[in-house]
Amino acid sequence: MYKRTKIFDLNYYKFIGSWAWILHRLAGLALIFYITLHIWVINVLTKGPDKFNNVMDFLNSPLFKFLEVGLWGVILFHAFNGIRIIIIDFFEGAVSHKKIFYIFIIIAFVLWVIGGYRILSHINWIQ
Amino acid sequence: MRKTFRETSKKGAVPWLLQRISALIIFVIVMIHFVTYHMLSEGAYKYEKVVSKMKSPWFNLMQFLLLCAVLYHGLNGVWMIVEDYIHIKGLRLFLFSLIIVVGVSLFFVGALTIIKVSNFNVEIFRAGVIK
Repeated sequence: MYKRTKIFDLNYYKFIGSWAWILHRLAGLALIFYITLHIWVINVLTKGPDKFNNVMDFLNSPLFKFLEVGLWGVILFHAFNGIRIIIIDFFEGAVSHKKIFYIFIIIAFVLWVIGGYRILSHINWIQ
Repeated sequence: MRKTFRETSKKGAVPWLLQRISALIIFVIVMIHFVTYHMLSEGAYKYEKVVSKMKSPWFNLMQFLLLCAVLYHGLNGVWMIVEDYIHIKGLRLFLFSLIIVVGVSLFFVGALTIIKVSNFNVEIFRAGVIK
């Protein structure tokens, strides 16, 4: 019998790589959940301008704009950690994967702040 | 010899590579998609603004490629997680079928959105509804 993967083996969670791994999975699950809803909801485009604008009026509320900023953060984490994984797999990044992780997190954080500011500036507070 | 799930790991090399190739495609297209749709559109999402980008067949082709790559990458990712934690054969088969059904239906919903809107777009362009 082979050894089963433990979901929460705390022995490994003192290392940054384990956190990157589990967060990458959780972010991926969150994104596939979002994309399912996104593809489903955006289908309302085929129902014509009025119905689309009705749905979008609902989605333009401040709550959804904040969720969109969160989405942008999750996308950036998953994207940049994914690039880190590709570097580890193909370009011998394993020797410095922690350093790469910190560099990419900083890049992702900067992009998150810029993009998040841009999204939040779209909020129409008077509704 | 009795088949075990261990053998499924031998079939993982091609999906592993495709997962990375699709990741690079998604990385590029999602950045374009997110910046053009979620950030540069001023204020509220309005039908005319969202649809005006779908005039270009290249943009539609890009969106279609994004749809395919995202569905493959996402559902293959879910399947990888299932392979790690689910060891009951029946449950695995159920989840695999669920992934396929979700993938196929989302592909049709997304592709029909792109095709219908771009056709509709051409019509209302000719009628002069949007500039």
